[in-house]
Amino acid sequence: MFFKLDSFALIGIDAVKVAIEVHLSRGLPGLYIVGLPGKAINEARQRVRSAILNSGFEFPVKKIIINLSPADMRKEGSLYDLPIALAILAASGQINPNCFSDSCFIGELSLDGNINPVRGLISMVEKAVALKKKYFFVPGINAGQASFFKEIDIIACTNLKETIEIIDRGDPGGNACRKICLDISGNDSHKIDFSEVKGQFKAKRAIELAAVGMHNILLIGPPGSGKTMLARRIISIMPGLDLQQCIEVTKIQSLCSQPANDIITKRPFKNPHHTISRAGLIGGGVYPVPGDISLAHRGILFLDELSQFPSHLVEDLRQPLENREVVITRNQTSYCFPSNFMLVLATNPCHCGFWGDNESRCKCTEREIKRFWKNLSGPIMDRIDIRVFVSRLKEEDYINTESGENSEKIRERVERAAAFRKNNSKGRKIKYNSEASAAQINEWLAGNERLRKSAFMVGKKFKLSARGLSSIIKVSRSIADLEGSKNIKEEHILEAAGYRAVKAYG
Amino acid sequence: MDKLLEDILCVLYVMKIGPSDLMREYRRNGDDIRAAVHYFKKSEGAGRLRQMTFGGSGMHRKKTDTDDEPARILEYIKKHGLGIMHIGNKDYPSDLLNIFIPPPILYYRGNRPEKKRFNIAIVGSRRCSHYGREVASYLSRSLSRIGITIVSGLALGIDASAHREAVKEKGGSIAVLGNGPDIFYPPENRGLYGKIEKNGTVITEFAPGTPPLRTNFPIRNRIISGLCKGVIIIEAGQRSGAMITGELALRQDREVFAVPGSIFNPKSRGCHKLIKSGAKLIEGVDDVLDEFMHLFKDKGHAGKRPLVKNGYRKQKGYTDKPEEPSGLDPMQLKVFKTIGCRPKSFDDISIAAGLDAGKLLKILLSLEMEHIIREDPVNHYCRYE
Repeated sequence: MFFKLDSFALIGIDAVKVAIEVHLSRGLPGLYIVGLPGKAINEARQRVRSAILNSGFEFPVKKIIINLSPADMRKEGSLYDLPIALAILAASGQINPNCFSDSCFIGELSLDGNINPVRGLISMVEKAVALKKKYFFVPGINAGQASFFKEIDIIACTNLKETIEIIDRGDPGGNACRKICLDISGNDSHKIDFSEVKGQFKAKRAIELAAVGMHNILLIGPPGSGKTMLARRIISIMPGLDLQQCIEVTKIQSLCSQPANDIITKRPFKNPHHTISRAGLIGGGVYPVPGDISLAHRGILFLDELSQFPSHLVEDLRQPLENREVVITRNQTSYCFPSNFMLVLATNPCHCGFWGDNESRCKCTEREIKRFWKNLSGPIMDRIDIRVFVSRLKEEDYINTESGENSEKIRERVERAAAFRKNNSKGRKIKYNSEASAAQINEWLAGNERLRKSAFMVGKKFKLSARGLSSIIKVSRSIADLEGSKNIKEEHILEAAGYRAVKAYG
Repeated sequence: MDKLLEDILCVLYVMKIGPSDLMREYRRNGDDIRAAVHYFKKSEGAGRLRQMTFGGSGMHRKKTDTDDEPARILEYIKKHGLGIMHIGNKDYPSDLLNIFIPPPILYYRGNRPEKKRFNIAIVGSRRCSHYGREVASYLSRSLSRIGITIVSGLALGIDASAHREAVKEKGGSIAVLGNGPDIFYPPENRGLYGKIEKNGTVITEFAPGTPPLRTNFPIRNRIISGLCKGVIIIEAGQRSGAMITGELALRQDREVFAVPGSIFNPKSRGCHKLIKSGAKLIEGVDDVLDEFMHLFKDKGHAGKRPLVKNGYRKQKGYTDKPEEPSGLDPMQLKVFKTIGCRPKSFDDISIAAGLDAGKLLKILLSLEMEHIIREDPVNHYCRYE
């Protein structure tokens, strides 16, 4: 009396197939789970037994061996309750075993037979599609997250009894969820808007450029100048996510947050407090989960009050910023979480915060200011293409200045620039200007000696390093994109220099 | 080995006679250091004298100074390539000799101090504004260019700006320290220290190893003003080291010049107070040089002071009335016209010129590259004058 069905396990954000094998044999009655189960899986013995009995079925009085194959891989979580219960029932001949070979199962059982949601569902459904499965039985509460996949029928299960009825009928497809046509254009409803920010023309323009090229940006300014306000609104002008990106984002988020029903269509905005731990920021744990840098994938990681962050945390961002992913290695396996985010930093210019704002009020000595900026290492600063000083508004400007453009208008421009870049960059691998390599930059400048020369002059005047120069050129490419210009012009380089030559430090 | 030098060191560091006592004896004996030293050596051990020695506590390196201190100092100086000079040496600066308590011993690095040299001091706030820094650089550069040596205190801010520009030009610079010659203070100016050594002198009256105690600095200020014919004060608060230097300069009968500043800036208070009480208000190098016409006469300049080739008034962009610089395109001109001599914020310029941020930034940067406007403070722009 052997039976086998398919389920999934998660490694990082990827799913792998796990076969649930059951063998009922003679011997002392009992339920044994083998194949490196975690604590939660071992406890499934109690849940499964109660759920089966409470749903009106018989729990076989046999020696029951359950093997989770591949048996040498550690497995965690409560997601195998449903498949184990079904496998036991099928092995003991209580349900119709016909449709099992095309199906896979995920779900946690309550003692009364109800099915509870699980985490990381979307990765498993994606894997099931790749394995050409026809049906996927998922917890009803989770079903919305998966039902936009056209290739597979999602069957939402609310309790064990109902699930068994569906299986017994032999045609689960009839009970599948309606396929949702995902409306990803609906992500423009942001509660906050750029029109609420008065003045700050330079900073707004810089942010627009950052959104075009996914440039990392540093906002420097005295307290109360609106750094945080600006940073929170960046999301509202970034172009919408496409379906593949939505899936990526949902995959990561569903590993950490409470199990959700819907797919995420908005770009994430992560704003960790500076007391965040290393594992919280980068990701980690015994069974590694993504940190804030991965949860900010495709969105924004905003470090407010940068000077308060321990420098080792900021240094940890180096590699993820370069590779756009973070690899967390534990003695058994490596977990790779994508972390393609836009880094937004905000800081005061000095300890008292008034440097450059009200010079007689700033009490910091040159040395204190230097020490203040020393916390930020060169390699991190090199990865920040745009730095902009946010000045405080004068009191009368709060009342007088008209409110600026709204986010929708700005986003339209950003999206147009993104479309222009796409058309203009046929065969180019890079997705964003900020990711351009040295060779790419050379290509942009190719055949234009004057441009090269003026870039050099600008670099000399503002005492920029080679890295500083290359980041000016990346930003000027974004300016050109925004303008719809095929080539970078001298004026673009001049403007870009204005976002780099901030005197506040070094 | 110079026996007199060793005797002076012995009086200072073994007998612990302060420079003020030593100098009083020096004056009493008709400016004869040999006689003064002889006086103290002769009466060594007399309790009366011991009690007299109260001044110049900063001169003592450690409480554990011993009898072989002079030898140790001399050895140290030899080993580290420092120079030493005592009062009575034939090239001891003559201006310094005229002050109330000239330092009996000078340690130096770099060029040996000269007997006759036209020095002018530039002193001011450590926490200076951008304006103060610009003024210091400009005055220092122009004066050094015509061969005048700039003396200052190697502090941050105004002092550093003055030194930095002076060492690039003919006149060079003299830095007067408030600590031993082997200590780099403030550490930020270490690079500057090296540059001054190459084109000028770093001087101190404090023995090697003396830490930069706060009490040392007013003491060394008398040397700054003492070395000079005049003292220029830029951005001094009401109770600042620069003001002390200014007062000392008056007592030493030196010219005192003060650069005016904004009445809203508390750092201008000191300078303005000096001006009110008779210091000369200066707007440029010419104002400084006018006071020294008689010196140039002696030197065979036939009554004419040296021509300041790159004087402030002849600098690019300067006229009594603001004038439009030539060679600007219409857009640049439009932006330039909205900017005055007072800093104006980016947003205000943008509204006044009717340009969006991107275009405006591009034009501002191009004007900044041409030295027509400058950013001061951040996000505020004003004309370069």
